[in-house]
Amino acid sequence: MRLRGSGGILLLLLAGCQLVEFSPNQAYVPTRERSLTAQNLRRLEVQPADDTLRFVFVGDTQRFYDETEAFVASVNRQRAVDFVLVGGDISDFGLTREFRWVNQRLAALRVPYLTVIGNHDLVGNGSAVYQHIYGPLNYTFQYQQTRFICLDNNGREYGFGRQVPDVSWLRQQLADTAGTRRTIVVGHMPPTDEDFDPQLVPAYTAALRGCPQLVFHLAAHVHRFTAGQPFHDRVTYLTTYSLQKKRYHILTVWGQREFRLETVTYGAGN
Amino acid sequence: MGVVSPAPVSRVDPGNRRPWYRPSHVVLQTGGGLGMVAGGAGFTLKDRLELDVLVGYVPEKHAGSALSLASAKLLYSPWTLPIKDKWSVKPLTVGGYISYTHGTINDEKPNQYPKGYYWFSTDTRIGPVLGSRLSYALPPTASGYARNLSAYYELGTNDLYIVSYAQNRKSLSPADILVLSLGLKLDI
Repeated sequence: MRLRGSGGILLLLLAGCQLVEFSPNQAYVPTRERSLTAQNLRRLEVQPADDTLRFVFVGDTQRFYDETEAFVASVNRQRAVDFVLVGGDISDFGLTREFRWVNQRLAALRVPYLTVIGNHDLVGNGSAVYQHIYGPLNYTFQYQQTRFICLDNNGREYGFGRQVPDVSWLRQQLADTAGTRRTIVVGHMPPTDEDFDPQLVPAYTAALRGCPQLVFHLAAHVHRFTAGQPFHDRVTYLTTYSLQKKRYHILTVWGQREFRLETVTYGAGN
Repeated sequence: MGVVSPAPVSRVDPGNRRPWYRPSHVVLQTGGGLGMVAGGAGFTLKDRLELDVLVGYVPEKHAGSALSLASAKLLYSPWTLPIKDKWSVKPLTVGGYISYTHGTINDEKPNQYPKGYYWFSTDTRIGPVLGSRLSYALPPTASGYARNLSAYYELGTNDLYIVSYAQNRKSLSPADILVLSLGLKLDI
């Protein structure tokens, strides 16, 4: 019994240093690397607020570790940025080590960072890894009178079938406008993409259309900047660059639905 | 009387080898991406060349779903050096493995993705290993085979980690992509 106990402790020690890896698909990290969404939201809460909301938006850090370091250096030189929003595809293969490699680099940001889950993050056991490291797949937070709704809308990873995105949850969150002036929705997939559950496009876009204080819908996935109102309903949909493109956006939001979009290019070459 | 009996033949005859398809040893290990525990049997294909076939397990608590892994390792150990008494060491083992993982949460249903959507396999991994082995000679088996109890370590990695490293050599180091296995082998 005692032998089994000490054997167990030895195993945990070795697993703790991550060298003895039981599977690349395992979902296990040291305590301080868990619940990062909650950790970052606590940091955001105590951050002194000013009167404009200004945040960095970038997508798809997947397998671009060299670029992530350059990205962090560039963002840390920006002034008056409140936080960084990563639009999903944090990892490429949904593996714990990839998530850790990205977090080890993004942890050097001077401001907190928040994420949504991308389709690549849902490969293998990535869903469990993401929840272990970051937290819930769907969550909301409020900052500077703005309600952010962050959700998993990667329908194809669930084999479609009208499960994801959770439109009824989205509707509830959009209806809850108490104490906020604006709402911003963030999901990895733009609903114009063929990886978005086609059966849920009408309900999803109708829900957004029904929210008068919605500023825009943010997505990544396509690795390039797009902006428009593809459903001709005055709802603005934006997509951002992947990290590999060495570009990111800074969004400044004020008033009811006013916003400005800046593009920052960083790093040498390309 | 007067007849000199022949000297007793050593029961351990190094030339006494079983056919390759009969398992020559059993294996128990942890880590290496092949399971929290993995056990199985090994075959001696040729002198110095072994094939270990393992079945491994990772509990749900550690992976989000219970994983079963089937793997095969081909290992070549060019040298066996006696240390003293019953102890010997294989200073270098090189090889490679292939593993298949069953039980992942997103298990790629048929028609879930268009062809070639993900260029990599989510459940089959391959990778190199490199290690050493320390052996202790136990009494030989009833049928006269030499019998060692060995402890080994193997450092390895996998295809997806290698790709990650190859494209990020500034910010990742080879140490970032290493995995370690620790195990025991018993000749039977």
